[in-house]
Amino acid sequence: MYKLSAKQQFIECAKLGKILARKCKNCAELHLATVYFCQKCGHKEFENVELEGKGTVVTYTIITVPPAGFEKYTPYAWVVVQLGSNLRISGFMANIAKPADLPIGSKAKIVDFDERGIILEKQ
Amino acid sequence: MEKVCVIGAGSTKYGKLQESISDITVQASVDAIESAGIEPKEIDAGYISNVFGVADKQVHLGPVVMSNLGISEKPSLSIESACGSGSVSFREAFANVAGGFYDAVLVTGVEKVTHTGTEWTTTYFSYCSDFFYEGQAGASFPGLFASMARAYLTEFKATEEDLAMVAVKNHDNGFLNPKAHLRKKITIDDVMNSAVVASPLKLYDCCPFSDGASAVILCNEKFAKQHTKNYIRVIGSGRGGSPAALQGRNHITTIPSTKIAAEAAYKMAGIKPKDVDFAEVHDCFTIAEIVDSEDLGFFEKGKAVEAVREGKTRLNGEISINPSGGLKSKGHPIGATGVGQVVEVFDQLTGKAGERTVKDAKVGLTHNFGATGASCAVHIFQSV
Repeated sequence: MYKLSAKQQFIECAKLGKILARKCKNCAELHLATVYFCQKCGHKEFENVELEGKGTVVTYTIITVPPAGFEKYTPYAWVVVQLGSNLRISGFMANIAKPADLPIGSKAKIVDFDERGIILEKQ
Repeated sequence: MEKVCVIGAGSTKYGKLQESISDITVQASVDAIESAGIEPKEIDAGYISNVFGVADKQVHLGPVVMSNLGISEKPSLSIESACGSGSVSFREAFANVAGGFYDAVLVTGVEKVTHTGTEWTTTYFSYCSDFFYEGQAGASFPGLFASMARAYLTEFKATEEDLAMVAVKNHDNGFLNPKAHLRKKITIDDVMNSAVVASPLKLYDCCPFSDGASAVILCNEKFAKQHTKNYIRVIGSGRGGSPAALQGRNHITTIPSTKIAAEAAYKMAGIKPKDVDFAEVHDCFTIAEIVDSEDLGFFEKGKAVEAVREGKTRLNGEISINPSGGLKSKGHPIGATGVGQVVEVFDQLTGKAGERTVKDAKVGLTHNFGATGASCAVHIFQSV
């Protein structure tokens, strides 16, 4: 049966501060819900798992020359966060102007999803 | 498998060009054909790499090129793989000649974007990322590589000044290249004092947006011997992939596709990284050259900055990296870059590199990837 992408469901979860993950029914590997086949074993059956969208900052950048549409937010950070599991998630973070504002290892959480994709905040 | 050779190469200058995308594509193609000393009718097929033809009102470039060469009846393929388009296209051409489908083919790469301005070029380029997670969230390409740089500077004993040294070295080389986009020498202070684009990367850590076209003629060895003594052999070809988004990688300071492609290319060539005399690597940002030269096996993980500090990667150092000036100084017309690297290797190994000649070079390597290394191709060449 034809199934629509899980992206909309993923977005609805992100708006609630959660990550919709897919756990492989064969090998238990976790993936983001936008994946259709397991990267580890190739299996295609998953169970949905909702993870807390919280973790620690792995790396980031502070953007001062933005793409179109982001002028009004500049400077802002684009951040990669390690979730409590083996998953990482990246997204937009407002109000970061200098590296001292966001040391590596800082705690961060997902707070929303809008036209800027996943919205993160420092905790 | 047929042995594959490069018998001709040509390139426009890289920079801000006035001519149209189709004009520069044809111009580089004609240069390559003349350099090979062949007639267009001897070409069996064309491979044309380009990313943003839509920005200059011309996609489906293949037939336009073939028609202008008087061989409209010959097949062509237009290929896109972000900044890695040129090398991916080269690989498809290589595979078809090696497989015996064609005796001789044209490979041309081109880009024409500077007329769209910095904001829109930055925006278009961000479409090459895994857009849902990266471009959409405001990650520019400098931003993605800046994230890689911050991770590297945190994990290893390296500083922003070390990264700046890569830019200084590549500008020294590009200064000797008449076709380079940014043909001027710079200092570490110039880099450190340039405007921050995406911290920790500054303007002079970034390659420029460039227009330009490059072309080569690939053929089997029988065809090569019938036409010229001035040819080089392709002895290794490898390709690989990485998770499209940086968040999908466990280590952000290494690019998986480079390692996979390099291993395959070294294996086919039957050589080790230490056998390479010079390499044209994908230095879209200073951090990229550091990561590349480790992933390609030239230096241990975390040791490439030390090598740069000691001058090992300078022209005629232990291993000359980016003798052309690299993407940083020679320029980065993204659809052309991978082909342009082969042009440099051809010029180096056939004695046409002038002042920037790598002395006694026999083996050259090209490394070119798309986006943050989501797609990659590595090729190894040997003089005859």
